[in-house]
Amino acid sequence: MKDIYTLHTELKNKKISAVEAVKDCLSKLKKSNCNSFISVLEDKALVDAQTSQDEIQKNGPKNYLHGVPYSLKDLFITKDIRTTAGSKILYNYIPPYDGYMSEQFKKAGGVLVGKVGCDQFGMGSTNENTPFGVVLNPLNKDYVAGGSSGGSAASVAEGSSYFSIGTDTGGSTRLPANFCGIVGYKPSYGRVSRYGQIAYGSSLDQSAPIAKTVLDMGCIISNITEKDPRDTTNVPLPKIEIVNDLVNMKASYLKGKKIGLPAGFIDACDADIKKNLLAAIDEFKKLGAEMVDVTLPNAKYCVSTYYLIATSEASANLARFDGIHYGHRDMKAKDGIEQTYVKSRTQGFGEEVKRRIILGTFSLSSGYQDQYFAKACKVRRKIYNDFQTAFKSCDVIFSPVCASNAFKIGQSDNDPIKMYMNDLYTIPVNLAGLPGIALPYGKGANQLPTGFQLIGKTFQDAELLKIARAFEVRA
Amino acid sequence: MNYEVIIGLEIHAQLATKTKAWCSCEISTKAFENTKVCPVCSAQPGALPVLNEKAVEYAISSALALNCKINPHSSFDRKNYFYPDLPKGFQITQFPSPIGTDGYISIKDSNGNEKKVGIERVQMEEDTGKSTHMAGASLINLNRCGTPLIEIVGKPDIRDAKEASEYYKKIQSILVYLGVSHGNMQEGNLRCDVNLSLRKKGDTKFGTRTEVKNLNSFKSVEKAIEHEIQRQAALLDSGKKVEQQTLLFNIDTGTTKVMRTKSNADDYRYFPEPDLLPLIVSEAQIKKLKENLPELPDAKIKRFMQQYSIPYYDADVLTSSKELAQYFETAAGAYKGEAKKASNWIMVELLKLINESGSDIAKSPVPALELANLLNFVLDDTISGKIAKDVMQKMYDERISAAKAIEKMGVKQISDTSALEEMIKKTLTEHAAEVDRYRKGEVKLYGFLVGQTMKNTKGQGNPKLINDILKKLLDG
Repeated sequence: MKDIYTLHTELKNKKISAVEAVKDCLSKLKKSNCNSFISVLEDKALVDAQTSQDEIQKNGPKNYLHGVPYSLKDLFITKDIRTTAGSKILYNYIPPYDGYMSEQFKKAGGVLVGKVGCDQFGMGSTNENTPFGVVLNPLNKDYVAGGSSGGSAASVAEGSSYFSIGTDTGGSTRLPANFCGIVGYKPSYGRVSRYGQIAYGSSLDQSAPIAKTVLDMGCIISNITEKDPRDTTNVPLPKIEIVNDLVNMKASYLKGKKIGLPAGFIDACDADIKKNLLAAIDEFKKLGAEMVDVTLPNAKYCVSTYYLIATSEASANLARFDGIHYGHRDMKAKDGIEQTYVKSRTQGFGEEVKRRIILGTFSLSSGYQDQYFAKACKVRRKIYNDFQTAFKSCDVIFSPVCASNAFKIGQSDNDPIKMYMNDLYTIPVNLAGLPGIALPYGKGANQLPTGFQLIGKTFQDAELLKIARAFEVRA
Repeated sequence: MNYEVIIGLEIHAQLATKTKAWCSCEISTKAFENTKVCPVCSAQPGALPVLNEKAVEYAISSALALNCKINPHSSFDRKNYFYPDLPKGFQITQFPSPIGTDGYISIKDSNGNEKKVGIERVQMEEDTGKSTHMAGASLINLNRCGTPLIEIVGKPDIRDAKEASEYYKKIQSILVYLGVSHGNMQEGNLRCDVNLSLRKKGDTKFGTRTEVKNLNSFKSVEKAIEHEIQRQAALLDSGKKVEQQTLLFNIDTGTTKVMRTKSNADDYRYFPEPDLLPLIVSEAQIKKLKENLPELPDAKIKRFMQQYSIPYYDADVLTSSKELAQYFETAAGAYKGEAKKASNWIMVELLKLINESGSDIAKSPVPALELANLLNFVLDDTISGKIAKDVMQKMYDERISAAKAIEKMGVKQISDTSALEEMIKKTLTEHAAEVDRYRKGEVKLYGFLVGQTMKNTKGQGNPKLINDILKKLLDG
């Protein structure tokens, strides 16, 4: 399937209509049957596509996304369209307002195909933590698409969306993109407004696009980096406009670029992953990049640090789901408000969500906060400092995305700690607020895609995308 | 009693901003239920708070007026607890780094001496929605939810009920002077919690304290303190211990009831609010707000005493509200006599009428300039001081000017010497026998003759002139 940039060119040249494009996506969705969507908006998508097509017919596409079919992770608030967070607790929630993401793509004239599946509240790496069912890997249905933005990755991989917006709190777009052989990009923290993104760990959450190519990331990013006054953590920087740079990018851009290799990262990966990572490093060298050894001494604490900070914030963020104001309520609960809270939340939240709320509540409790939450915040600062030191000697950092590639369905059941360890390579990026991009490269022993990750300097998203694109266009 | 009473007050004040703390919803107590709400203040998933800059200004001004240090780098925190009128499931507040710390205000203690009461901190936070409990149902109104508050945490420097209400009154008056709060306790603009403990006289260690909540008038603060002192003293006297508790006061019965005890106290699990950036306040900003502070009650009392030569008591009463102070200054400015006279009239006559009719000074039927006119009429002998009170009543009742009231009542003083002389001659003719006895030495009949003259002038004769003329005619 073609990428956004190609579709855009065809729409512009009237080789295809927006309606044809969305019909093609809908038929691929049916054929693929991977359970990628929670809500398919077939009728609405066809109407929207016609509207976009009429505008394109008249004045040509107003930007790269005009008339392009896309999907949103079901953590993004869409006015009048059910938004579930992949959880029973919001199974019936119809938002009364539009979030930033929905507004921006409406403005751009994109065509929303539907809301895609995810682990509840973005909590998980396999997309198995949801009552809406596991999202299957379109490349092999015995395997998971990855999580938590599994629906986003699967929808792009199966061709039902040209791009999808996921969320990335600890790797939730980079991991599934990697499992499905496509590109997942987490912008710097604060670069994209979180208004209307259902919160998990607010200081780590970042909305993050998944698409087929790095070039497509350029097409998307200019539409979602406009400053939003409703999110005070959204930085006042101009939007990122780099499509032309990416279109004209040559592999020679890599000549003389310094790429940091953190000590010990690659060695901990599965043999097939390691082999491909080394091959990718070789390619970078051949293209003229200089590989530099760096150390991230505190990275080994990142999983504990992350699971204390993210769950602590989540324990407060998820308190609003009380069964009273909206969402699932146990109507049979008796004995007052207390029981309504307890029963509604017990029934509404999945096991993993409850586990994280309990962990976070504990980490913040009086008597424990100093040794857990407060300590984690200190380690987080050290991890950030490690990166700042490392970046003194390199332009970007090269890292695995995950020690393995896609898992078989059911493989990671019953061992949360083992599952948390899958996030080892993606988490440091969130803790330090850096931009990171996962690129596909090679195949693993199970014949499913493998890949690597490039990590950029704070707010140097454009440079990161350029380096990634330079690798993408190599001969 | 062998105990020393230790009291500290926590006062919550709603800030009088047009819009809420984190969203642009209008603050209105009159709007229909749940109509002043949006995704942010109703805690829809995905909504984020944005700090109201006006609320920050008001909080800083308040902290400055309370002589606090302004924290150049304060921050917001989440205080976690479940309650249906708190839809987020946490309150945004300031825990380790409040906007203001280490202030004080001056009050008069029970002996009339000036006393400084310390203020530990001034922190910004938000109000909850309102719950109404009915038979079989509880209703939630979120119109109030997210209204900006400041909490003023006082140091345990207060020693009795009177001081506590003096302190509370002073805080109210300062906030209203600043214009940062409406200060209306009935409307819930101000709320007060009392922390109280007893210790043996001479002890340096504090005893176990209790917290009494929900005190919505000065009177209830005093009553609750008096009750709590008795209750704790009785426990200690009988060798029992005071338990650390949160209590609710019932003004009707004058007693408290236990809301929660320490063993089941909430753990609020405070942590930094990740959705709001730290609040950085520049020196320049603080300087500007400091320069723009209005004259506060203490400074005004000092100025009134100097400028108008009135005693402390008068200045204290007259500055108890901005409107009253303004009224006095207008009246005293237009009055040609001594300001103390204006002060007496306002404090005694005017406030009596206002209190009786349940009005307030801002809506006084007798405007300040008319009160000055009335007093000027006394000063230039147009009316007598005695009749002026009746004139004032007429002015108040009918909302008319002093001149109009005097005219309507026909009480203009007769100061025409020849007219008075005619009337006095007539009186003396009528009472020739008494005049005769007076002249033979019965001097006490002088008073009788003054009285009869007054009667003939229908009370309108200028007493001083009558005196002069009568003396001249009798003795001359």
